[in-house]
Amino acid sequence: MSALEPSDESLLARYRAGDGPAFEILYARHRQGLYRFLLGLSGKPELAEEVYQDTWLSLIRSTSQPQGRANFRTWLYQIARNRLIDHWRKHGIHNPLHDSYDEQTHAVIDEATDPQLLLSLSRDSQRLEAALQNLPADQREVFLLRAHSDLDFPQIATLTETPLETVKSRLRYAQQKLRRLLAEEVLT
Amino acid sequence: MTDARKTPEDQVLQHYREHSRDEPPAHLDAFILAAAHRETPAPKPNLWQRWVKACQKPRWQVAFASLVGVALMLALVQRTPEQVPGYDFAPAPKTSAPIAKKESAQLARSLAAPAGAMSAPEAAAPMADFAAPAQTESISAEMADEAKVSKPPVMAPAKFIDDQLREVIRLQKAGQPQAAADLMATLHKRFPKENLAARLKELQKN
Repeated sequence: MSALEPSDESLLARYRAGDGPAFEILYARHRQGLYRFLLGLSGKPELAEEVYQDTWLSLIRSTSQPQGRANFRTWLYQIARNRLIDHWRKHGIHNPLHDSYDEQTHAVIDEATDPQLLLSLSRDSQRLEAALQNLPADQREVFLLRAHSDLDFPQIATLTETPLETVKSRLRYAQQKLRRLLAEEVLT
Repeated sequence: MTDARKTPEDQVLQHYREHSRDEPPAHLDAFILAAAHRETPAPKPNLWQRWVKACQKPRWQVAFASLVGVALMLALVQRTPEQVPGYDFAPAPKTSAPIAKKESAQLARSLAAPAGAMSAPEAAAPMADFAAPAQTESISAEMADEAKVSKPPVMAPAKFIDDQLREVIRLQKAGQPQAAADLMATLHKRFPKENLAARLKELQKN
């Protein structure tokens, strides 16, 4: 977003003041990232679509604004995340994000440091998705937020209510595991 | 993440960004945008429009009307001249007797100079024609007696005459016929057109 483009917060304020086209700009900016985040986290297209729709409708019908230090992006992903957790709770599904995962125990020493190998990561979307679903949910969440929402570490820590260092280590382990899984896919 | 020294981990992140193909379905986009369009809040009116709208509401009309009413009342109260008992706006007639002129000059001097000070020059005399009677309270009793002869009384004539005639009756009853006759004569002299005898009889009956 260039300096000349209006911020997300100003677009939301304009929409609240009756400027319909402002919402279209806002939606275009975040539709893809939010959908990919929900699809990656839930692993089910139907559920991702349902939560995605609920999130945007909630934003449309709400009169509230991002509070405190949260910007629009953090706020949007927070709404989506809460909706997904609500869905799991409502349907008696165990919330995988609440699992206490010991990154140190599950860390796998990564020996695939060959640059050539790194360039040969699988590009098959199904394999990418399968590798992603192979991650523990909390690592997957941090990875997806970093990949698609463009939030920085402190924002992710705030959103997931997790210490900053834990967020960093989750991302690191997620990336190492994905690299190994995707490289294995190429080699086999 | 735009750093040239990307770690292998960051390359995985970039790899996923580049090769993700998932998009929200078109029907979902259409549904959400239609909902947003349908539920776009009404534009907020500007300050002037809000003011006009507020003025159209009955409760505000009553409030504004009350406010205007109070303001008008205050304006009227502040603009109304102070009621001075017996204030005579008319200047003393030019055709008055010289004694009246003299009295007026004395009055003007008494107003112009503080008590005990030297008399004001005669040039101040013309001002006396417009001197405010409200300040006649400072005039001495002697001057007041002169005024009885030379100047119309401050009180309304009918009431004044009745009061004087009652005084005549009182003097007569008190065995002072001479004083009563003198007062009667003074009244005849001052109010030649009044039928004082008839009025006296009427008062004696009451």
